[in-house]
Amino acid sequence: MDSNFERRLRLIYDALDSNSNKKALSEADKVLKKHPKFLAAKALKALAILRLGREEESNVLLDAIMKEKPVDDGTLQVLTFCFKEMEQLNKICEMYNYAAKQTPGNEEILAHLFMAYVNIDDFKAQQTVALQLYKLHPKNPYYFWAVVSVFLQGVKGSESIVPEKRKLFLSLAEKMVHKIITENKIEAEQEAQLYIRILSEQAKYREALEFLDSSIALKHFPGAPTSIRIDLLRNLKEWKTLQELLEKLLKEDRDRWDYYQEYLNCSIELSKSSDNEYSSTIIEETHKSLCELINSGKPVRGPYLARLELYRLMRELKLDANKILGNCNKLLIEYFNLFGDKFCCTNDISMYIDSMQQDERSNLANILIKESAINSTNLPKTKEEMQKHITALQLARICGAHKLLESDHLLALFTTLKLHYEHGLSNFGKDLLATDMGPSDLYALLAANVMYDLSIKEQQSKPLLEALALLSYVLKNSPSNFHVKLFALKIYQLLGCLTGAQEMYDLLDIKNIQLDSMGYIHCNYLPLSGRFNFGKPTYEAALKFFTNSYKDRLAYITMSYRFGTFSKLLEFMDFRDKLTNSIHYSILSAESLILEIVGLNGTINQNLNSFKLLGINPQEDRTAWNELSDNRDLSLLVRWDPIKEYDAKSDEKESLSHEIEVLQIRLNLLRLVASIVDLMNSSTSDTETLDMLLESFIGLYQRIKLMNYKPISNKFLVNLLPSRLFLLLDLPYEQFFTDLSNFILKLWNGLVSQEDKDNINKNVDNCVNVLNSVIDENNSKQDNMWCRKFVQERISAIVEIMSLYAFVLQVSHERYLVISQLNTSKKGKRKDQLENEKSNVLNDRERLAIVIDLMRHLKNCLQISFNNIGNLKAPFIPVDLSDLMNDLSIKSDIQSTVYGDITGHFKENHVQLVNEIRCLIKDKIKLVNK
Amino acid sequence: MFRGKKRNIQRILLSIRCWCFVQARFLEVKFPVKNKEILQKMTTLRPFTCNDMFKFNNVNLDPLTETYGLSFYMQYLARWPEYFQVAESPNGNIMGYIMGKAEGNGDNWHGHVTALTVSPDYRRLGLAALLMNFLEDVSEKKKAYFVDLFVRVSNKVAINMYKNLGYIVYRTILDYYFGDPDEDAYDMRKACSRDVEKKSIIPYTQPVRSEDLEMF
Repeated sequence: MDSNFERRLRLIYDALDSNSNKKALSEADKVLKKHPKFLAAKALKALAILRLGREEESNVLLDAIMKEKPVDDGTLQVLTFCFKEMEQLNKICEMYNYAAKQTPGNEEILAHLFMAYVNIDDFKAQQTVALQLYKLHPKNPYYFWAVVSVFLQGVKGSESIVPEKRKLFLSLAEKMVHKIITENKIEAEQEAQLYIRILSEQAKYREALEFLDSSIALKHFPGAPTSIRIDLLRNLKEWKTLQELLEKLLKEDRDRWDYYQEYLNCSIELSKSSDNEYSSTIIEETHKSLCELINSGKPVRGPYLARLELYRLMRELKLDANKILGNCNKLLIEYFNLFGDKFCCTNDISMYIDSMQQDERSNLANILIKESAINSTNLPKTKEEMQKHITALQLARICGAHKLLESDHLLALFTTLKLHYEHGLSNFGKDLLATDMGPSDLYALLAANVMYDLSIKEQQSKPLLEALALLSYVLKNSPSNFHVKLFALKIYQLLGCLTGAQEMYDLLDIKNIQLDSMGYIHCNYLPLSGRFNFGKPTYEAALKFFTNSYKDRLAYITMSYRFGTFSKLLEFMDFRDKLTNSIHYSILSAESLILEIVGLNGTINQNLNSFKLLGINPQEDRTAWNELSDNRDLSLLVRWDPIKEYDAKSDEKESLSHEIEVLQIRLNLLRLVASIVDLMNSSTSDTETLDMLLESFIGLYQRIKLMNYKPISNKFLVNLLPSRLFLLLDLPYEQFFTDLSNFILKLWNGLVSQEDKDNINKNVDNCVNVLNSVIDENNSKQDNMWCRKFVQERISAIVEIMSLYAFVLQVSHERYLVISQLNTSKKGKRKDQLENEKSNVLNDRERLAIVIDLMRHLKNCLQISFNNIGNLKAPFIPVDLSDLMNDLSIKSDIQSTVYGDITGHFKENHVQLVNEIRCLIKDKIKLVNK
Repeated sequence: MFRGKKRNIQRILLSIRCWCFVQARFLEVKFPVKNKEILQKMTTLRPFTCNDMFKFNNVNLDPLTETYGLSFYMQYLARWPEYFQVAESPNGNIMGYIMGKAEGNGDNWHGHVTALTVSPDYRRLGLAALLMNFLEDVSEKKKAYFVDLFVRVSNKVAINMYKNLGYIVYRTILDYYFGDPDEDAYDMRKACSRDVEKKSIIPYTQPVRSEDLEMF
């Protein structure tokens, strides 16, 4: 290769790197003109074409290259890129397989082949290639690639569910490592760790422990974490040894919770006699050791909390805990007095409130408040006193102290909390950095919860607005407090104010993996806000993360093979699957597609082109329903709600099943609409897809209605917002799209009756009625802020239904227009048409007329809706909101900014909402204007 | 690919700066280290796993902690899993984590602290010290000569904390942190027991330019 030639190739690479695919293509063509047989240039051309979106063309070229069976590294790597981008991972294996056969003994190609199999989880093929590599180059990494491939066949491969097979693979893997050990050829920490894992998977804990103590392990795995030993001893039920080990460890570090948990577990096990009775002497011993740990230095939380844990365990086993440990309240109060000034104290103590009776809890709440020694006349003098007071208040709420309060008491509590916040801020919050959280912010967070309680009790929005005002004020003082932002986001959503919610979401600066784990707090509610355009950038940012991480998903696993980090392999695979099957991702992509269709506003040709670009294939359901992964971080919002009054675990499960149903409905709806559009654009008469989707749509609704789902309780501020599922059930989605699909099928077959037509129009009228009634509801209520979310969600759903319908009509109109024009231009009538005319089948022109009729009706309805939306009254903001904070010593300018910010958000949201919806309706009117 | 190596190296250099940047950002957190203070770090210490990334929000939402692209965390998990540890509270919350690595040849073989972060809800409990101890312990077991880290020269609180943990300012690196204006970094070190003569912590008196740093 001359240098000029190489320079040319580099130009192509550079163009591809900088995403100038057109340039890359023309450069590749130039090279190919001179050297038409040059495979690397051909491969680069294929990649450029692929990236230009011409997949089919690229495929042809790739097939041609594959026939030549390339072996040079450059070509193979470019092809790898192509196949990865097209998700044809098998082809990469195929290609390197050819190449390996043609260049026997080529280490690099074999290594690539190995990784190609890694990409598709073909552990068996991995094993074969790894052994080939080892034979050629007897290096440990290759050998262990083979070992781990065998191991994976035993624990993850398709045959791993057959116990005999599993056993076989694991014992083979064990033997393979054993051989290396006897030859004294272990080289790396991860190799030793893998051996322990293989043994543990076979429950050979004794052997694993012996290996851990062997000189080889000591030499090559000196950093073996103690947790490995603890796990092995626990599995071997060697309680005595384990307890001794833990005692030693705890003496070194009295604050390791994991050790305490194991330690207490040991004691309980040791105290178990043969007839399952528990000996109290051993438990007494344990208690004594804990007391010794308590007394062996400055107070640390560990042994104190361990004592509470022991109390809990004993109670669980129905043992007399009081006899050994004394009164539980006493222990809790002692703990509170020692550590109440730490933020974490609430979480610590709340773990032990669960097992108490209600009266015990109320009692504890009273004592804690008393112990904190803070009241209206005695304000905290130090930061520590204040934190202790906060802890007491949080725990009191957890104990249920707030749930019995009457409205005026709740309001009084709110005022007190507000004053405490202000007092704490002015006394201990001076010179805060912008990145610090205010020391008294927690008062305000608690106050927000109290006001939510009041709102629910009174069914009024005012308390929530007051909470919002307080939170906004706190945010001015400690702009980095994310708890405050999360709470404010929630309140804005509850009150249907997207502008405010979006501001909080933006302030949280959510990115990368947080887009998956935290996205649910905002994204799921975007399509219900009525702001069809506003939410798009948020969607796009989240989807971009998912597409990128999907692309990168293979790299991490190959990376752990390269570095020999076998301990992370299974974890990485699991993580890859979780990201790929994230339910949030599926919901986002479905919603953004629906959003695109709803927003179509061009001529028929423009719309059809945009629709095609969405790449919806109605025949195919690509969702891995059984593998959907819930990656939401549901502990994001900090919670001090009364124990037993909510069940976070069951709420989580409930809400997940709601979300899955929502996804089912939305995807089915999307595919249903897409299949109608496809049908209207096809030349075949095959309605199979539409039939199938209609059937599943009806079946889906039937099943979901039978499930009798209930929304998650809205009792507390931190509870999840109700799922969109209920809106999909309450509003005429099912009726509308079932009738519409049936109608389209009839129209297709030319069998539409007047009744059918009227029925569809009735459906549209129904939508307008729903719209009118919610607008009336909004306009007639004085506190329309309270029903605002309800109203907006219904408005957006109705507008969505009508928009999808408008597109369907536009597409149908085009079809029958084109066909009937085609027919009139042809002289004479075709035979089948003549036959049709004889029967009752409508001809194309008649069908066109029907569609036009429907369009006119829809147009009228849209016009009415357009006018009615204009009458939607803005949410009412109580004028005295500006007085809300008069009891605080806030400067009036801050007060007015806070007030201005909030009212501004509500006003802007209203104006934009009406604007966006009216624009959308106007666009739809254009679509059906015939 | 045919692409020149230079770009690659630049990319690596950039990512190294990023790493150090993370660490530096954490260090702006205030850590009051008084000897009298009772440390209440009570925790479960365990290896960081991929799934922790779904749950580390209460740590990462803090403005001083950056949430990086997946590949950043994955690289560390894949190469130095033992150096990536998470501290969990008794009720299962993530309180903080440390990321680090082992690198260098010969007597430059050392442990490096890449990032250390503690949730604002769990500060002032001595967690940072606990996590640092852990990393030093791993480095001891790996027979490293020393442990090092980079910190903004302006970050007095963090520098003090490290001094209390036995670190010394080994050298100053000019314009290490990008910004307006760029800021110098201290390269702080603590010798491990293998470095019997404590050669690794004899300070450099001359400041070093960041482009002259030997990266590996």
